[in-house]
Amino acid sequence: MSVIWLRVALALYSLGLLHAILTLVRRKEHLFRVALSAFSLGAVFHFVSIVEEGIVNHRCPITNFYETLSMCAFLIVIVYLFVHWRYQLASLSVFIFPLVFVMTLVAGLGNPVSAWSSPVVRNTWLTVHIVLVLLGYAALLFTAVGSVLYLFQERELKSKKPRGFYHRLPPLGTLDDLISKTMALGFVLITLAVIAGTTWAFIELKSAWIEQPKIVISFFTWGVYLALVCLRITAGWRGRKAAIMTVALVGFAALTWAAHARLGAILLKQ
Amino acid sequence: MNLLITGVSHKTAPVEVREGMAFPEDDAPQALAELSAREGVQEALILSTCNRVEIAVATADGFDPRGIVDSFLARRNSLDAVERYLYRHEGRDAIHHLFRVASSLDSMVVGEPQILGQLKAAYAVAHERGALSGALDGIVTRAFGVAKRVRSETGIGQMAVSVSYAAVELARKIFGSLSHRVVMIAGAGKMSELAARHLRRSGATEVLVTNRTYERAVEMARLFDGTAVDYERFTATLPKADILIASSGAPHYILTRDDMTRVIAARRNKPMFLIDIAVPRNIEPAVNDLDNVFLYDIDDLQEVVNANLRERKKEAERAEALVEEEVDRALARLKAAEITPTIVGLQDQLEQIRCGEMDRVRRKYGPFTPREEEAFEALTRGIVNKIAHGPISELRHHAGHPDGAHVIAAFRKAFRVQD
Repeated sequence: MSVIWLRVALALYSLGLLHAILTLVRRKEHLFRVALSAFSLGAVFHFVSIVEEGIVNHRCPITNFYETLSMCAFLIVIVYLFVHWRYQLASLSVFIFPLVFVMTLVAGLGNPVSAWSSPVVRNTWLTVHIVLVLLGYAALLFTAVGSVLYLFQERELKSKKPRGFYHRLPPLGTLDDLISKTMALGFVLITLAVIAGTTWAFIELKSAWIEQPKIVISFFTWGVYLALVCLRITAGWRGRKAAIMTVALVGFAALTWAAHARLGAILLKQ
Repeated sequence: MNLLITGVSHKTAPVEVREGMAFPEDDAPQALAELSAREGVQEALILSTCNRVEIAVATADGFDPRGIVDSFLARRNSLDAVERYLYRHEGRDAIHHLFRVASSLDSMVVGEPQILGQLKAAYAVAHERGALSGALDGIVTRAFGVAKRVRSETGIGQMAVSVSYAAVELARKIFGSLSHRVVMIAGAGKMSELAARHLRRSGATEVLVTNRTYERAVEMARLFDGTAVDYERFTATLPKADILIASSGAPHYILTRDDMTRVIAARRNKPMFLIDIAVPRNIEPAVNDLDNVFLYDIDDLQEVVNANLRERKKEAERAEALVEEEVDRALARLKAAEITPTIVGLQDQLEQIRCGEMDRVRRKYGPFTPREEEAFEALTRGIVNKIAHGPISELRHHAGHPDGAHVIAAFRKAFRVQD
């Protein structure tokens, strides 16, 4: 029963995710008040779910991974609401809302459900996941290329001795725009892909799904992406630091792909 | 036709000589009329600017253009005094020179477009006076086309070659578009005013002005439709500005690295372009080590200008190749234009003879059946074409050569081609 309350909370948190996505893509704050109300209400249902879980099992619900994750997400929500009430840090929402959403999503996927209703649904679901990932990777690639060009042009401008690059590369402002747009787009696509992939893996792989290395590394890569996007939005990270982080992200993305292509298994055998 | 360009330029003559030879704007039409009235002159053009004087003439065959131009020059200057500064280009070289001048490859600052406008003005004067009507007209018009091609196909005119334009170009390299950018001026001075004016014209929306004396700030702000800022609030207002032009007379730094660290944090790392044109410098040089801050002092801007000039030289090499190609094309066209009337005349002449002979034969032995007519037609045409082929290719071969005019004359005589 507790899982139902958790899903209600998840549904409410999804408004927070929507707010984050709209803010990223449109680069203007959207729906914040709605998202915040939904978030607060979600926290209530989340609390109910945790309490019920505890009552049913007669213990504090932090004994397995899913329970701990649920508790952790809940605590993040509480701390966020407190920080927001005390310091009014609205821009933090872009980071917190997607994080809480994904944590809650995973926390609710502890008990295996019956298999797919039909193979068509299963395959379509997987295809959607893969297409979203590939589109996200394409956007990420543009971000990376833009970042590298940005580094070159920035170095030219800093060195004050313009050479060929100075004359041939686009202005920093244009590159920055390209990086922002492709980064936001890529993040949205990858987030949707993670949601699709998580639910697919949960249904397909039953209870052992979360222990799969490829799933773990996917979440890790997504976390890095989230951090990068937020640092850019909130702290205005650009230039060298952002470019290095983007290149690192491309590395993780490549690793994730390798893990999915079972390259890891091949390498480990040696 | 003989084509000759006689001239002096900043490369061959000092300014005193150029002054002495220059045609002031009011005198130019008169001088042009005088030159074109001389015997043998078919077309004439005079280009006179502060950096060059060029006299182009096209004379009829049999006239020496050099003698004509020399005697024309001798009327105003002592030829002995200017002789060693003069250059003379004939035929192909003349076309080549004209194309290079029009494309600004021979200019003091390579790639600066003023010369094209001056040439167009000179062309307009000559055209109005009826001094251009044939080959030279075609060549000058083509020179405009070549200049346009050079501009659009090479980067020769794209890079800023003055300090204040270099500042605008750098601002564009940093921000992309300058619209909605805020410019702040600290201090006064001609150069900062000029740079701010260029930036404003390139789209910057707002200008903030600060000065130790508030009245001067207000005065200068009025020039740009900007806002005066109290000097006390300089660093506090700075985060609003995307571009800062510093040119105050302060003997110490008015902006230190620590100030800038705070400013850039307040701007959430949005890039900033600082132009320090004051001497002694207004901004601590270590500011340039901060991320997203681009500091250029007057020497740095000069360095950008120098780099741009070097880049222009590279582009100029590509432009030279393009000009060569255009000269060859222009020559080919001229050649064709020169011999076409003779060839057409010859073909008419031979065709007349052929038709006349055919009629004679028809009267004497005719009438013929259609099949016989066809055979005679083919036979006579074949003979005529075969005979004409040799001389015509010989003519094509000689056209454009120095002795071409003689060959054409001899050819016309031999075949009795009418004018």
